[in-house]
Amino acid sequence: MMNFLHTLENTSFSQWVTGSSSVFAFPSILLLHTIGMGVVVGISAGINLRILGLAPGLKLAPMEKFFPLLWIGFWVNAITGTILLVADATTKMTNWDFYVKMAFIALAVVLLQMTRKRVFRDPMIDQKPFTSNAKMLAVLSLICWLGAITAGRLLAYVGPVSGLSK
Amino acid sequence: MNLLQSVLYYSPNLAHVHLLLNHFPTIGFGIGLGLFLVALIGKNEELKRTSFVILFLIAALAIPTYLSGNAALEVLCSGGDTGHDCPAGVSIAAVREHEDAALWGFIFMELTGFIAWLGLWQFRPVSRLPQWSVASVLLLSILTFAVMARAANLGGDIRHPEIQSAPQSTAAPQGEADKGGMARTFGAYVTGHTWVWPSCETLHFVGLSILFTVMILVDMRMLGVGKNFAYASLYQILPLGMLGFAVNLVTGMCFFIAAPQQYTKNPIFYWKIVFVILGAVNILYFMLLDEPWSVEAGKDAPLTAKLAAAMAIFVWVGVLFFGHMLPFLGNAF
Repeated sequence: MMNFLHTLENTSFSQWVTGSSSVFAFPSILLLHTIGMGVVVGISAGINLRILGLAPGLKLAPMEKFFPLLWIGFWVNAITGTILLVADATTKMTNWDFYVKMAFIALAVVLLQMTRKRVFRDPMIDQKPFTSNAKMLAVLSLICWLGAITAGRLLAYVGPVSGLSK
Repeated sequence: MNLLQSVLYYSPNLAHVHLLLNHFPTIGFGIGLGLFLVALIGKNEELKRTSFVILFLIAALAIPTYLSGNAALEVLCSGGDTGHDCPAGVSIAAVREHEDAALWGFIFMELTGFIAWLGLWQFRPVSRLPQWSVASVLLLSILTFAVMARAANLGGDIRHPEIQSAPQSTAAPQGEADKGGMARTFGAYVTGHTWVWPSCETLHFVGLSILFTVMILVDMRMLGVGKNFAYASLYQILPLGMLGFAVNLVTGMCFFIAAPQQYTKNPIFYWKIVFVILGAVNILYFMLLDEPWSVEAGKDAPLTAKLAAAMAIFVWVGVLFFGHMLPFLGNAF
């Protein structure tokens, strides 16, 4: 396993990502990852906070139009995240905190899909108060995104640290 | 490419910048406060509103004013925050006293700015400022003015022996020890405890995300996504964006006070702050002008609203960009 991770890290692409002094290598890939985070968490948080009662005059239904943008952000982060992972495989793959982050994100995506199915597909959306079920989904979703951001930030501080993830 | 680089890395003498900017929090704020008092006496709602706009903008300008103070110290006393070599007549203790007074002034001014902003936000639906905000801004702005006047006075004493009230302090002993002050003690706390910096960073990312919530919903709607929203309903979530900004201002100041030299000598950081100021100006379009209000559910936004929305996205992604690039394009860490 460790050999495989070393091989990943030593491909010329990985070497370029971590070793190049170009601003388009590591700095820009991480930048896209941060912007993607802002888009995904930003839209999700907007939906969840609305369900929890923020801005009662704001209808929830039109927020469905923001899902495609959310998924663009998600896939940008899946791709940039994979690149960052491969380039730093021996460190990230041996860090428990990385798996905590992945678990939070997986759970958050499941919760997002559940919200879409149960809240957005409800024909009575915006005509009656949100159910306690919907609110529970919203709270859990906010916790998961908060957990994902925290675990992501802490990757630079806990477990094996490569010094790459500023 | 060279032009881009010379723009990106443009570094003015920040001591000059500090001496220019430091007039705004006192004189500009004084004008805002004076206008507010006149409006209160004359019971003129429009004038009150104008004075709140001035107080809000001055609070935004107070950010670079505070930040450039540390840079001015580094220009004046070479060595900056580690070991000082102040010229004769300049006492590091006087500088620290000014720094602490300025930090208090800054805190009060930002509070005033936020409350004024909230008042402006509530003005729109009812066309008058709510009582609570008028009362809080009155109290806070008088307090701020007093605290800031003290900071300005102490700042003037640093290099103007002719106006010092206590002339004995002119004789700064050579090699005087830097005992720091409140700001330095706080900075040492941040760097001295391993949990503080990562916690602030995490909160900084949370703040960024909720700022993005508002930026995406409001500005992308103007640009055509989710047209079923009327602007009047999206207006309700603007304070969430301000909350995100507030979280990031507080956590950002923790970074700055803890390690000022990472930022004062970093041209990329200057751009970040310039963009923050542009963001403060940009949000006023969405609060003061009637035009975005004409955007009803299902309707296309007018061109200027689209431009303002595109500008907002450019500015806030720019703030993120420059913050992210501090260690890469800039020289932090």
